[in-house]
Amino acid sequence: MKRLFVVTFVTGFLIVVLATALWPLPRHQRFRSLTAVPPDGGRQEDFIIHWPEDRIARPGEESAGLPAAAVVGAAVLEDSAGRRASAELFRLRDSDDNVIGVASRVAGTGGAIADPGRSSSNWLLVIPSRGALFLAQTDALDTSVREQSTASGIVAIAPGATAGFWTDRSPFRVTASSPAMNGSATTGRVLRGTNEFSGLEGTFSEVWKLEEADVAGTTRGSILLSTLTAAGS
Amino acid sequence: MRALVGLLGLAFGMLLAVIVLVFNPLAGSGTLRPLPADVAPIKVYAWDYRGMAIDNASLLGLGQTVRGVALLDPALRGVRIGIVVLPAGEGTSAALAVKVSTTADDNSLWRAQLGTNDYWNIFWPGEGSVFASGSSNYWGMLRDYFLAAVGGSDDASAATGRLVSAPSPSGSPVGVAGASGRYAGFLGEIREFRYPAAAGARKAEGDWGIATQVTPPPVTTR
Repeated sequence: MKRLFVVTFVTGFLIVVLATALWPLPRHQRFRSLTAVPPDGGRQEDFIIHWPEDRIARPGEESAGLPAAAVVGAAVLEDSAGRRASAELFRLRDSDDNVIGVASRVAGTGGAIADPGRSSSNWLLVIPSRGALFLAQTDALDTSVREQSTASGIVAIAPGATAGFWTDRSPFRVTASSPAMNGSATTGRVLRGTNEFSGLEGTFSEVWKLEEADVAGTTRGSILLSTLTAAGS
Repeated sequence: MRALVGLLGLAFGMLLAVIVLVFNPLAGSGTLRPLPADVAPIKVYAWDYRGMAIDNASLLGLGQTVRGVALLDPALRGVRIGIVVLPAGEGTSAALAVKVSTTADDNSLWRAQLGTNDYWNIFWPGEGSVFASGSSNYWGMLRDYFLAAVGGSDDASAATGRLVSAPSPSGSPVGVAGASGRYAGFLGEIREFRYPAAAGARKAEGDWGIATQVTPPPVTTR
C-alpha cells in the first residue's frame, strides 16, 4: 500500500510538471519583416494604415449613422484655454497589406507643445511579435481631431476624413520639415524601440494620401509611415 | 482500498506540484519596487478597451472571444488597446493617453512569468508628451485566485491594489521617454497597479493605476 501511494504520488506530481512544461501559452502570429537596406545604410520599413477601415472603434461605438466626416476610435481632451490633445486608434499593416499590429496617434496643440495653428504628434506602433516603436514629430499644420456637436451628438472630426481638407493637397506630408519654434524640439524622429527594435533610432515621415471622396463628403485614403532606423549610439 | 490509496496518492502529488508551482522557488525577482508616493502619485483610471481581457484565463490561452470587444485579426489576438484619461490632481493636469498591452511571448509557467508588455502614449494638453514601456507580471493575481479557491473564498483579490510592474524578462528597455513640449528629452520610470472590481459592480474588471517619475535630461557643456 505504501509503495502504491508513493508511486501514484510521484505520478501525480509529474503530471502537473509535464502539463506546466507543455502548456500551450499564447504566442503572437508573426509576419515576415518587410525591411530594405538603402544604399546609405540603415533599415527602412514602411507601415500603412487605411482609413476608415483600419480605425479601431471604441467599445459600443458604431460608425453607422455618423456624419460623413466623423470618425470612430478617437477621443479629444481640451482644457479651458483651448489647448487640445486627441487620440486615434488604428490597425497597422505592413507593405504587403497584412495587419501586423496596432498604432495610436496622439496629437496636441498649444502652450509648450506647438506653434499656433500647428500640432505635434506621437505615433506608438506596436507589433506584438516584434515590439514597439515610438515616433515623435512636429506637424506641418494642426492635425489633431476636434469635437463637434451634431444631430447625432458630439462626434470626433479628423482633418483627413473631411473632404474639404483635400481641395488643394494630396498627398499631404504631415511631418514638418523643421521643428516648431515653440516647444517641440524634434520632428520626424524615431525616439526609441523595444524588444526587436531595441537600440534603434532614426527618422520617419507621415504622409496622408486621399484615394476617394464621394459626394456625401466621405473620404477613403491611407497613411504611410516610412521609418529609417539604425543602431543608436 | 488500493484504488482509494492510488487516487489519494495521485491527488496529493498533483496538489504538491501545484503548490510548488504557485509558490515557485525558481521565480524571478517578482515585481519592481514602488516609486515614492510623494513624487510619483498613483493616477487611477478605468481602461475602456478593445481586444483581450487581462485575466488568468486569457493569459493562459483559455479566454473567450467577446463579440464587439475582441480584435479578430490573427496578429491581434493577444492585444489590448484603449484610450485612457488620466485624471488631474496632485500638481498635474489631466492627460489623454493610449495604452496598449500585448501578452508577453516570453511567458513561462516555470519562471512564474505570466504577463504582458505594456506601452503608453501620453499627452498633457499644452504641456507635453511622453512614451512609456514596461512589463507586467500577473503571477501574483493567479496566486491570489488559487489561495482564494483553496480557502473556499470567492474574493480572489483581497488586496486593495496590486503592483504588477516587473522587470522585463527579455531585458528590453523599459521606462519613460519624453517626446515633446516641456517633457522633451526627459527620462524616467513607470509603475502600474491593478485594483479589484468592487463587490457588486457591473464591470467585471476593476480600475487600474499608473505612477510615473521623470527627470530632466542631463545638462551638457560644449
